[in-house]
Amino acid sequence: MNHIAATFESYALLLVGVALAFAVATILAVVIERFVVAGHEAWLRRTTRHYTPLVRLALAGDPGARGALRRSPSWHRLTIARMILIPLIADRDPARIADARELIDVLPLMPFADRLLRSPWWWRRAMALRALGAMQADDYTGAIVAALDDSNDDVRNTALDALADMQNPASLPAIVVRLHDASLHRARRAAVLAAFGSQCEPFLLDLAAVDTEHRLNYARALGICGTAAARPILCAWIADSRAAVRAAALDALSRIGVDRASMPFAIAALEDRDAAVRAMAAAALHGHADRDTAASLARHLDDTWAVAVRAARSLQTMEAAGRAELEARATGAGLPALLAQQMLWDTKGSR
Amino acid sequence: MSVTAVLAAFTVVVTAYFVAYNLSQFAMAGVAGRFLWRYRRRRNPRNLALVARLAAPPFVSIVVPAHNEALTIVNSVRALLALEYETREIVVVNDGSKDDTLAIMTKEFALVEAPVAFEQPLKSAPLRGVYRSLAEPALIVIDKINGGSKSDAVNAGINAASGRLVLVIDADTMLEPDALSRAAMPFLEHPDTVAVGCYVAIANGCRIEHNRVTDVAMPRSWLARFQIVEYMRSFLLFRLACASRNGVALISGAFGLFLRDAVIDVGGYDGTAIGEDMDLTLRLQAYYRERKRPIRIAHVPLPVCWTQAPEDWQSMRAQRCRWRRGLLQVLWRQRRMIGNPRYGIIGMGVLPYIAVFEGLGPLIELSGYIVTTIAFFLGLLDWQHWRAMLAASILFGAATTLVSVFLSDVSTRKYFRPSDLALLVTSAILENAGYRQLNAWWGCVGTVQAMTGKSGWGTMKRKAF
Repeated sequence: MNHIAATFESYALLLVGVALAFAVATILAVVIERFVVAGHEAWLRRTTRHYTPLVRLALAGDPGARGALRRSPSWHRLTIARMILIPLIADRDPARIADARELIDVLPLMPFADRLLRSPWWWRRAMALRALGAMQADDYTGAIVAALDDSNDDVRNTALDALADMQNPASLPAIVVRLHDASLHRARRAAVLAAFGSQCEPFLLDLAAVDTEHRLNYARALGICGTAAARPILCAWIADSRAAVRAAALDALSRIGVDRASMPFAIAALEDRDAAVRAMAAAALHGHADRDTAASLARHLDDTWAVAVRAARSLQTMEAAGRAELEARATGAGLPALLAQQMLWDTKGSR
Repeated sequence: MSVTAVLAAFTVVVTAYFVAYNLSQFAMAGVAGRFLWRYRRRRNPRNLALVARLAAPPFVSIVVPAHNEALTIVNSVRALLALEYETREIVVVNDGSKDDTLAIMTKEFALVEAPVAFEQPLKSAPLRGVYRSLAEPALIVIDKINGGSKSDAVNAGINAASGRLVLVIDADTMLEPDALSRAAMPFLEHPDTVAVGCYVAIANGCRIEHNRVTDVAMPRSWLARFQIVEYMRSFLLFRLACASRNGVALISGAFGLFLRDAVIDVGGYDGTAIGEDMDLTLRLQAYYRERKRPIRIAHVPLPVCWTQAPEDWQSMRAQRCRWRRGLLQVLWRQRRMIGNPRYGIIGMGVLPYIAVFEGLGPLIELSGYIVTTIAFFLGLLDWQHWRAMLAASILFGAATTLVSVFLSDVSTRKYFRPSDLALLVTSAILENAGYRQLNAWWGCVGTVQAMTGKSGWGTMKRKAF
């Protein structure tokens, strides 16, 4: 033991040396990093200040400003591109996008985007994709669709964002096919469907007709971008053996709106053995000022909580028929009565 | 065995422990640095705009437990109402306040008693009333009898929450305007996400306007400065390293975004847990992993929320002793997970690490000082070795903290004044000479308290912003 302790002691000074080196290195790293960052930020402020009026004028078509931007050094181009493109994330005004794209062409920054797209670094490829999407560079649709198969998942997801921003219908088949690609973020898949809206519907319906395995995804997708044309197939799916599909189909119907033809399906689904399906059926029946429907829904105020809440909310939207049922239940005791009272209170408040 | 042999054996154990600890810190710094770098690359305005592009972003219920918060509650609620996230509601739980919390809110937000129906799957003390705001439709106030713990109030709030996600914060937590958008991102990206924590930063010394941090600066108190670098080390080294391996064991009570159904599945917050936040996080991990269900607990490495740190020794001591008792209680309750491969990285990596370095750390450190003193009086102290160990301990401690200061500076650039940076660096060095030892002492006091069954939160003096 003493021998081991002696060995430790002989290494003690080495330990101090290593610790000192680490401490000094980290202090130096902090100081150097701060100088580098401060220098870069100062440069960025100066460059932005210099180019802001020029970019504004150039976007308005001023030839002098465009000439000045064209003559800018190559190492300023990325900053200029950012100044042109970043506002497009919040402002998707088509005229503004067209101006930005034209200016990017004139400068010319497209070769720069090409280089970034071929970069071995994923974040550069992602940056190029974001830029191309923001300026709706339709010529690059093929390249962006190809990026959906990139080896890096961040790049693939950025490509999906870019396609959502581009809204080029030519990319729709590629997007719809990737609806089941779990490596793409679910929210991004939803966002791209929302961006295209009802344009997706024909592709979804065609694929859904032959691909029963992924029916759940199609039902969810139709909930985002479906129209009246999707009602028949959604009604058919209410008879699916999978509860998740039935619930998603009713949820989609709820978003699209239930009509006279689809209402019996939704009312029948109120008696489904699965609570999630009943809950979606109750939600789907909102807005129908029909006494029988209201009576059917009122019976479910005693159901599982998820069903009861949706039934109550639907009753709230049913004008006199719903109000009569809610008033009848509000005089009782327990949670259903309180739920009915809340709906009546909310209705009064919203008036 | 002679006294000399015992001392030699002890020296070997302590030195090995010390080397292992510092090596682990540097290894974590590498992992955390990579995680942060990737996060920075992914953090761009287009990504943040995703929430706005969704047809139906997830509805979030913000649960705010309030006990005697009359002075701050109005500003807190106003700041929450101004968050840049539209689909949210605020559920304030007045937990039997003895001051005018409810009266002030009633006046300020035009509260009226209203029927609000909700199930109560989580246990809490009885409710006295539910109020809705005529001025702010997104505000619900639950008035309840004091349940004796924050957990009880939060459970009542979660019961009343109608969101798929619940954000649990403290009444004095200050959020960045985009806090919810950032915290919701992991839920949008990974369907297995059940909870998200974030880097909780210290607001002492900062300028606060309308419950928002508008200018970040270092505080005057050295105690608060030490805590700032300590939080950086904790949130930017250990937690990031854990998050990068999907092994988050603690979501701070000051800010935690949870899948409501998941919290209900595990029975909500446990009112008997001293460290209720770590207790809940570990129960979530255990619940999902035992059922072989995928689970992901994410960590946002940016300071999206700010809290106040104690600036007086008494409050600090009470807080640290409580944390210690909480840690030991949770480790004891979840002891089946430690070293158990069924719990994945949590069982085989994170919890053993916490048990060895955080559980035993203060005891080993204190025993080191005791043995050194005994050796000194027996004339057996090797001064050269002692000086070397002391120097190495301070320098390694400073180096690891400086790494976290570096990571913080690169990722957030919050303390941008050169004077603040100089203070950060100085604090990172000085905290190793006194502050850390004091923490070890409080850790030992907390251990004794845990063994003798002491409970309670103690009091914390807060300064008005």
